[in-house]
Amino acid sequence: MERFIDLSLSAIMLAGLYATMAYGLGLIYGVLRVVNLAHGGVIMAGAYLGWVLFERWGIDPYLALPLVIVASFGLGILMYRLLVRHLPRGPAGGPASLLLLFGTWLVLRNVAYLLFTGNDQSIRTSYSTASVPFLGTYVSVNRLAVLGVAVILPILLQLLLKKTYTGRAIRAVAQNADSCTLVGVDVERIYALTFGIGTALAGVAGLLSATIFSFNPGFGSGELLKSFVVVVLGGLGSILGVGLAAFILAVVEVFAILVLPSYLTSAVGFVMLVLVLVLRPGGLFGHRVLG
Amino acid sequence: MSAATPALVPLRVAAGFVVGVALLAVAPWILDFTPYSHNLVTLAFLLISGAVAWNWMGGFLGQVSFGHAALFGMGGFVSARLLLSGPVPAPLAWLVGGLVAGVFSLGAHPALRLRGPYFSIATIGLGESVRLIFTYWEDFTGGSSGLSLPIDPDMKHQLYWWGLGLAAIVVGMSWLMRHSTFGLQLLAIKADVDAAGDVGVSATFYQDLVFVLSGAVVGVSGGLYASYFSFIEPNDMFGFDRSIAFVLMTVIGGVGTILGPVLGAIVFVLLRQYLLASYPDLYLGLYGTLLIFIILFEPLGLAGLLGRLARLARSWRAPAAEGGTP
Amino acid sequence: MRSRSTPTPCRSALLATLLLSLVAAAPRAAGAAAPTKVSLGATLPLTGAEARIGGFFKEGYELAVEEANQKGGLTVGGKKLPVTLSILDDTTTQATAVSLADRLVNSDGVDFLLGTYSSHLVEAQSTIGEQNRIPYVNGGGGATKIYKRGFKYLFGTIAPVELLGTTLMSWIDVQQKAGKLPRPAKIALLWENTAHGKDFRKGVSDFAAKSGGAYQISVDESFPLDGKDFSALLGKVKAANVDLFLADAHLPDYITMHRQYVAAGLCHKVVSYGARGSEKGAVDALGQENVNYVVSGVWWSAELGKKPGLAKAFVELFTSKHQGRKPEWFQALAYESARALFTAIEQAGSLDREAVRAKLAALKIPSMLPGGTLEFPASMGQQAQNPFVLQQNLPDRTSPIIFPPDAATGTGIAVNPRCPK
Repeated sequence: MERFIDLSLSAIMLAGLYATMAYGLGLIYGVLRVVNLAHGGVIMAGAYLGWVLFERWGIDPYLALPLVIVASFGLGILMYRLLVRHLPRGPAGGPASLLLLFGTWLVLRNVAYLLFTGNDQSIRTSYSTASVPFLGTYVSVNRLAVLGVAVILPILLQLLLKKTYTGRAIRAVAQNADSCTLVGVDVERIYALTFGIGTALAGVAGLLSATIFSFNPGFGSGELLKSFVVVVLGGLGSILGVGLAAFILAVVEVFAILVLPSYLTSAVGFVMLVLVLVLRPGGLFGHRVLG
Repeated sequence: MSAATPALVPLRVAAGFVVGVALLAVAPWILDFTPYSHNLVTLAFLLISGAVAWNWMGGFLGQVSFGHAALFGMGGFVSARLLLSGPVPAPLAWLVGGLVAGVFSLGAHPALRLRGPYFSIATIGLGESVRLIFTYWEDFTGGSSGLSLPIDPDMKHQLYWWGLGLAAIVVGMSWLMRHSTFGLQLLAIKADVDAAGDVGVSATFYQDLVFVLSGAVVGVSGGLYASYFSFIEPNDMFGFDRSIAFVLMTVIGGVGTILGPVLGAIVFVLLRQYLLASYPDLYLGLYGTLLIFIILFEPLGLAGLLGRLARLARSWRAPAAEGGTP
Repeated sequence: MRSRSTPTPCRSALLATLLLSLVAAAPRAAGAAAPTKVSLGATLPLTGAEARIGGFFKEGYELAVEEANQKGGLTVGGKKLPVTLSILDDTTTQATAVSLADRLVNSDGVDFLLGTYSSHLVEAQSTIGEQNRIPYVNGGGGATKIYKRGFKYLFGTIAPVELLGTTLMSWIDVQQKAGKLPRPAKIALLWENTAHGKDFRKGVSDFAAKSGGAYQISVDESFPLDGKDFSALLGKVKAANVDLFLADAHLPDYITMHRQYVAAGLCHKVVSYGARGSEKGAVDALGQENVNYVVSGVWWSAELGKKPGLAKAFVELFTSKHQGRKPEWFQALAYESARALFTAIEQAGSLDREAVRAKLAALKIPSMLPGGTLEFPASMGQQAQNPFVLQQNLPDRTSPIIFPPDAATGTGIAVNPRCPK
């Protein structure tokens, strides 16, 4: 029983992390139909930004959240205006966008090497290793905070999409960009905004990961792959699906240790990815564009 | 080049091709290669074969695979296992490695009905699960400590011609594919799978066929690669970076062209050897920038750029000949 | 339409030939006239996954070369020859490590090779030394498998990782015999799935198997390099209720795993992460209070310099060059590798590769490594077998050597005082 509680808690914490990593990727795909391969690079950049803010100015990572959001939002707008805007839309743009954004990732990685060298870094706050007792076991305070952010983010996102004019425009563009142009929505602006919000979410994921893991400029590829799995499971482009999918992936990965050697548990997610793509290309919960 | 069913390869093309291959075959003596250059060109041949085969999928069929390392690794480890098991002639081992990789690629058959990014993401998933499973599969791959083959300098020297042979066959196949009904069918599938089905092109069959061919060639080059390095390790052979390398080479050279992957592989080797030694801090960024520029400005890569230059030269020469001024 | 954008195969074949000759247009190595210098080559992972450690090895190699040149160079056949060392970046990639070593040997014409860091790179790269019959001395490839291939030109100053497991267990055994640890003691053995981790596992599990039931391995799991979430794995350890927590991990995994370990409220009588534990980077990332009493086994430690001898001289030389920073085992093994090669060259009295190889094979010199002597026993595939030293982190921020007794600078504490009674 205690083992079950332990594993369940691990799964919930892990789900929180996976969800934060995947929201940005899901949002951008849902609206722009672009797979943001630079996602891993932005996660890495977010981690370093948080690290710099913490090491140089002593700003707590959670207080640094707004700063990281603004900075990575700006980075996203920049990436959209300079690069993504020029891609052909539709299926023809698929492979091209993958490669373009992969190139961007390589550049980001190189910049990080030049600025910070390849050394492993980590953010250590007073509560990094603190934990609170819960149902006879211990829960990391920091992981709880990450979970909190993972729950708040989609709520905010949903509010933004439902209650604001911009949000409604984003949803409209996601459903039909052409008719939006007809009714006077500046589609380009909406695309740029969405890309910005998506990368801002990736930046947040990077910052949060940095409080848990040690990282270097190569950081982000594992995170990107996991985000892929989550986004595909959730049906590319459905925000709530992402949350649920993160939970399912985490549960499967964590509980797999009961039957599989630990080394192979991370393969489970990839196998699930392929199975879902082949059997249910719309994701586990059907294909809903920003519900 | 619009002939859909050429009965014969045009003489000019065939002659050029044969002369090129023959020149390369005797190049080590004519140019008096150092052992280093000899090995470097060998490596380029192996990468050329892999990139050209990747291009059949990614370029001709439009299915961008981020998981070809799985096939490369498969070919490499099957060959290595065979070579370690007893007195098997190396070419046979490479061939078997390729065949197994070809059959193995059919494992991705269900994914083939996915298009665009969905297919790419599926191949990432397949590639990564294969890497993890094969790294764990100690008995076959030696696990994370890999497999060592006996050192054989003569073999390594001969690999130049084996590599050249493979590259020549593969480039020839590329040309034939492009200039046959088969190639047109692939183009139809690339443009619109459903429409291709409507006009009687069996998309499933052709996709499987191309995937098997591509897998087999990548597998053979994996086998040659194993003999070249005498040591292979699953995290390296099956790694995501290697899958990416196939994509990079082809895109830099020119997706969907015949010459592109060849150029791309050569540039890849050149960049790695020269830039890495001189500017190790910048090579990732250089690849990245190159990729961005190619996607934004010249989707056909270096091959497209060369085509443009050739046209430019022609249009510059033509008036010059008429007017008599340079 | 395509025909215009794609050059014809005819032209393409010629173009490819041209480009390939460009690849081939590498300068030819100079012929063997009377040598005016000893030229060495090495690749190191200066970028990529092992960048940090690659930098440390570079410091060790450069220190050895500077020291030799300050003495006027190496005495080769009665003449003083200066030493040059060209170091290229192999980006922690096998193929690059091999190709660049090939370049060093066959294009840049170096006389001898020093090794790169980490087992899989050394295993791949040492084939170049063997193929070209060039002595290759390394301090970065510790996996025993590398030395079981019968290579004649490969020499390792780095003792097998297996010995790390054995040494750790020997210390634990002493504690158990003194009644400080339960018998049988249950072990959780977590190893990264690399050649390094597999050797560590072998050392520990062989010892446990021969102990006649004194040790029982309850958890035996591997994890991927750069694994991220270890909570499920640690949950398994927790459920198994073990006494000893023995892991083998690289620095980033050590930091990540140990954070999760502490946050999960785990505590074991003995905690070890193999070779990791006393690094300053880890202490900074984890906090002194969380790394206290962690036991680590290393090939060399600056603690050895507390007693007079070669190690002391090396520590002083290094700290004076690097503004008071102390060397770790990386720099020490790199330095010893270079020094072993220098000694063999001087003994051979020429730059003849066969002669130097023979001298390396017969080498037996005083060394700063634990055990005090460096040699490359043929029976072990020319891999040095120097013992490991165990260190333990103490609350006063020191990490004294606690084992073996002859090298000890402090006493080990067997039952982790951090754990609640």
